[in-house]
Amino acid sequence: MAAKAIEVNNLTFSYPDTDEPVLKDINFSINHGEILGIIGPTGAGKSTLAMCVNGLVPQVINGEMEGTVKVNGSEVSESSVAKMSEDVGFVFQEPENQLSQMTIEEEVAFGMGNLGVPRDDMRVRITDALEQVGLTGFEKRSPLALSGGQQQRLAIAAVLAMRPSIMIMDEPTSMLDPKGKNEVYDVLKNLKDYGMTGIIIDHEVERIAAYCDKVLVLYEGEVQMFAPSEEVFTNIKKMHELTLNAPQVTEFLSSYNQAFGKDVKLSTTLEEAVDNFESVCK
Amino acid sequence: MNSLYMPKDSLIHSLDPRTKMLFVVFVVASSFILNDPALQLVFLVALFPLVVMAKVVKPYLISIQFLLLFAVLIMTVHGIYNPIGVTPVFEIFGGLTFKYESMVYASVMSFRILVIGTAAVLFVMTTHPSDMASALVKWKVPHSFAFILLSTFQIIPIIAREAKIVMEAQQARCLDVKGSLIQRVKNLVPMFAPLFIITFMKVHQLSYVLECRAFSRKGEKTSLRETKIGSLDYTFLLGMLGFLAFEIYLKLFMMGSLQLTTDALLTYSLFGTWIVFGFMIIKFVVKQFQGKIGGAN
Repeated sequence: MAAKAIEVNNLTFSYPDTDEPVLKDINFSINHGEILGIIGPTGAGKSTLAMCVNGLVPQVINGEMEGTVKVNGSEVSESSVAKMSEDVGFVFQEPENQLSQMTIEEEVAFGMGNLGVPRDDMRVRITDALEQVGLTGFEKRSPLALSGGQQQRLAIAAVLAMRPSIMIMDEPTSMLDPKGKNEVYDVLKNLKDYGMTGIIIDHEVERIAAYCDKVLVLYEGEVQMFAPSEEVFTNIKKMHELTLNAPQVTEFLSSYNQAFGKDVKLSTTLEEAVDNFESVCK
Repeated sequence: MNSLYMPKDSLIHSLDPRTKMLFVVFVVASSFILNDPALQLVFLVALFPLVVMAKVVKPYLISIQFLLLFAVLIMTVHGIYNPIGVTPVFEIFGGLTFKYESMVYASVMSFRILVIGTAAVLFVMTTHPSDMASALVKWKVPHSFAFILLSTFQIIPIIAREAKIVMEAQQARCLDVKGSLIQRVKNLVPMFAPLFIITFMKVHQLSYVLECRAFSRKGEKTSLRETKIGSLDYTFLLGMLGFLAFEIYLKLFMMGSLQLTTDALLTYSLFGTWIVFGFMIIKFVVKQFQGKIGGAN
């Protein structure tokens, strides 16, 4: 059997000077080409979990870690973050903090330069990456002159150009307006078409439901649910227990069922929900 | 663009950053070798064609104004008060006498500032910061040091914006920014404490980002921008070497017979700086006045 893209076994992690671990006995794995959405309330340990996958935790951000994290079959702890970046790309929350170069093309080229990609190859990859995120024609501008959504897409392009096989995005849309959010999720959809594996942390359940294959619900450092997104979001009772919400259509169908004693099949997509609803009303 | 770099198409721009760095070193060395006001003035004038060639005359003149302020101050104060002076040259109102030796001393110092300033401005305005960084790396300067230089350009506008946000936030919490001077100085603490913390947090985050972009990876690194030393650079370097040799020759063998520095030259250069300075003040006053009466723009 081929190695899984990401495999996490019995992962427990605690930050220094804290009594309780921030991650408790986490187990999950995802296959190549799958997109995983991680949801959970603030402080549940979502970012820490994501940073375990590329080795930032515990190599750069110190703490006590138990258990194993494997990426493409090899142990993360046996390699450095810089080495891991060839396989795992990481996009952070704040767009502005991720930019360090004078122009957009140099920003995209920065990561590649560190990997030692030859110049001719760089040009091709820059054009490619900027096209994927819809920033073609901006090459010579300053990254600081872009809007928040564009900056975040630039950060994504900079990671894409390094051609990792796994892409992790830690709340990439929280600073963005609805249009900016859509732009980021469209990129995520493209990743899937390219066969890349992705992890996205976000509070946007609608979009998570629409774009992710699997969803992992984290609550106080524990995995509460890990299943295909449809299955997670239709378990509304459990979602509410964890102070989370399902997408609005699912919430609507669930409330309707409760109020009128009906049994409409819950769904996370608008089209399917309409169909289900109609079939009962007839 | 956040740096002073002026993207133009010129011979000077197309020189390798390393050549230009050597040029700055050459100018600094020359300004010390030629410690004679007249020769330095000639050197300063000789540098001007390079500025014209680089097509940065206007921004150059604007930035050199500030150095001129120093020159005026040094030439006036030293000319009158420097104790090394014995031979009086001329007297202005109130019995203040400019003396020959002190004027020589002051002129050498201020021309040196102008000459070095010219070279530095020329370098900064014609060299893309990224090119400078990659040229430094080629000189075996550690990659992280080159990155620090480069990221400084990037972080200044970000800090400036954060400073504005902090100031507005503190004003919203009743921080008095329009009070007396003492009050305002006191208020620097609630301004700068958060600003420092924010900046440190940002830099911290950036360090994670860099780590994720393979910054500390061992092995060969490549750069998008190419810097290469070509025939033009060699010509330029040869020219500099030739000039340096000439300077040393001049210094060693000709200084006895060559005496260009005269009272008139010193006096005129002093008056020259005063006049330019006067123009600057007039311009400033006019601008202020225009602002007051709400004139154009």
